Amino acid sequence: MKSKTLLASMISAALFSAMPLHADDLDELKAEIMQMRQDYEQRIADLEQRLQQTETNTQEVQQQVAQVQAAPAPAPVSQNNNRFNPAISAVLNGQFSDYSNDPDDYEISGFSLGDEAGLAREGFSLGESEIILSANVDQLFYGQATIALHDHDGETEIEMEEAFIETLGLSNGMTVRAGRFFSPIGYLNEKHIHAWNFADAPLVYRGLFGNQLSTDGLKLSYVLPTEQYIEVGGTVGNGDQHPGSGDHNGVGDWLVFAKTGGDIGNNHNWQLGLSHWQASPDDREYSGGHSHGGGDAESVAFNGDTDITNLSFIYKWAPQGNFKEQNFTLVSEYFYLNDDGKLSHEDELASYDGKQYGGFVEGIYQFAPQWKTGVRYDWLGSKHRASDDELLEDADLDATGYHPQRYSLVLDWLPSEFSRVRAQVNHDKSSRDDDTQFLLQYTVSIGAHGAHSF
Amino acid sequence: MRVFITGLLLSIMSITAQAEINIFACEPEWAALSQELGGDKVTTYSATTGLQDPHYIQARPSLIAKARRADLLVCTGAELEAGWLPLLQRKSGNRVIQHGAIGSFMAAEYVQLSGIPSQLDRSQGHVHAAGNPHIQTSPILLLTVAKALSDRLQQLDLANKVYYQHRWTDFEQRWQAAIKKWQLQAKPLKGLPIVIQHNSWDYLIAWLELNKVAILETKPGVPPSVADLNNIVEQLKVTPAKVIIHAAYQSPRASDWLNEKTGIPKVVLPFTIGGNSSATDLFSLFDNTIQQLLDASK
Repeated sequence: MKSKTLLASMISAALFSAMPLHADDLDELKAEIMQMRQDYEQRIADLEQRLQQTETNTQEVQQQVAQVQAAPAPAPVSQNNNRFNPAISAVLNGQFSDYSNDPDDYEISGFSLGDEAGLAREGFSLGESEIILSANVDQLFYGQATIALHDHDGETEIEMEEAFIETLGLSNGMTVRAGRFFSPIGYLNEKHIHAWNFADAPLVYRGLFGNQLSTDGLKLSYVLPTEQYIEVGGTVGNGDQHPGSGDHNGVGDWLVFAKTGGDIGNNHNWQLGLSHWQASPDDREYSGGHSHGGGDAESVAFNGDTDITNLSFIYKWAPQGNFKEQNFTLVSEYFYLNDDGKLSHEDELASYDGKQYGGFVEGIYQFAPQWKTGVRYDWLGSKHRASDDELLEDADLDATGYHPQRYSLVLDWLPSEFSRVRAQVNHDKSSRDDDTQFLLQYTVSIGAHGAHSF
Repeated sequence: MRVFITGLLLSIMSITAQAEINIFACEPEWAALSQELGGDKVTTYSATTGLQDPHYIQARPSLIAKARRADLLVCTGAELEAGWLPLLQRKSGNRVIQHGAIGSFMAAEYVQLSGIPSQLDRSQGHVHAAGNPHIQTSPILLLTVAKALSDRLQQLDLANKVYYQHRWTDFEQRWQAAIKKWQLQAKPLKGLPIVIQHNSWDYLIAWLELNKVAILETKPGVPPSVADLNNIVEQLKVTPAKVIIHAAYQSPRASDWLNEKTGIPKVVLPFTIGGNSSATDLFSLFDNTIQQLLDASK
């Protein structure tokens, strides 16, 4: 041990003597080391501080996040079956109508109007009130029912307008619907009357369907997996809805349709639709019936084949695609009906070939969030050929080739998306007696408010 | 750096791998967030732009086609899209995006909403029963949503779980640093008295501790009447405001009127990505929002 210390001191002595150090150099070295030490200490302190700050940063943000996440405990679920009530909404509307002609004499030349296809009564009247129920049934189905109540000849009638179930995401773009539903025969046909842009139906809807065509049956639709929207589908029904008629075992009417549409930039959207419907009406009755020699009039009936083809085009525009402030909608549809069969009246029989066609164009401009205005033009035509013209007369089918037309102007005030006050003027040339019609209408929706389709 | 390299490696490996997740975002902020978290494993489409009012969107044909092919919906929820999304879900015939399915992600379900009305009555305007849905105006809420969305992506695409985890960590770090930066920048805004057009800004106001002194839409969704506006002018004489705020998609009429009448400067905030030309991603959205507020409050 002792020898080791001795050795070390000897070595150091030798080193020191061999490398003589000046006092100046030593001081310089010391200062340099001190400097370096200070530098490092400073840097370490800086780093520590930054680390600490980062930690507090994270902590602070995490604290904020934690605060946000600390959601309150879910409210206790009350033991009440009402929680699963479907979405319920009611549409109420009322109207004041004024006509220059007697509405009871209203007719559309070349077309036969059903019971409900006429004009609303003059003066104040309650329009159609609707109650709509909808909900998901379970993991597979959605269900919806629309119950309409309206006055007819002084009595309130209840009508099941729609009652259907529909698959919820059957997958691969397929959807199946069953029950009673508005037929996809035309663009407006699939919408509820209260969602239409005018207070009354286009003449062609009034003339062909008595306002709207519904189907009791099945609907299948398929959205193609393409970038461009393309939907194809079809329906089968029991064929008893006008212009179909009668009891049919199995399929009484069928329809195929195709739709496509898209966007042009942010501002423009469009949709094009084509559909074709066929039925074989069994004793479709014409409203006009002339009694031959007193007593109740027996109606003229049609038996044969009927098909209808529809073409529809819809265009919508909104600056930047922001529909809230301003937008424009153009709807145009064209229908062509072809009847081929026989007319019968009491003991008379005639072969019959009828064409009824027509369409409308409407443009609606929402110029402020609460105001809309629009114009509509209706045009119809018909050709009726029968082996016995007397039956055409009995059926009140005008065979002179008169073209009914109508011009309409509408102004809507929309206090909110749930209410609407509408004023409309028509110059109606549905028959040879021109009529000027003025309609003032309110429509409100209370309760759940569903989504609107394009 | 490590995240970047891992990401790069993973992305190179996956070039030959399976197809990307097709994301249908209802609003641009969710499209951007999905892209941040999903990187090149996802393709995103936004149904709306920053200049559209998300309450009033048409369930138009192109959206049905997009929804038909979507693997994941990323939307706000809380009834914001009630006027159009349910219809797209039903018409799409797409099982995976139905409500409650794995492909339906509603951001508002992951945060606590404020402004839940105590009374539901439509005479009070367009009220949202579930609470205020405009959650993207707070970066804190956005972070919470981001975590949940990343979890959903991992659940949906197990093969790329690690990739999404890395993207999440990376995003979280960058986002937290950004939040700290914004909070520092926005210190002078604390207590800033503001007038807003619609209750779109509740979460921004809470985050930056701004002071909302008046709302132009006295009832949400109902354009203010002249009487309403005159009341506000009177009110502002007592409690003055320094800035009028309105979202880029809203009509400038009411704020312009007030600006002219009172001389209080008006700021058009982007509200979401694409609301102006500077707000191109989530980061620049808040950069721009705070910068504009700072400029206007000087």
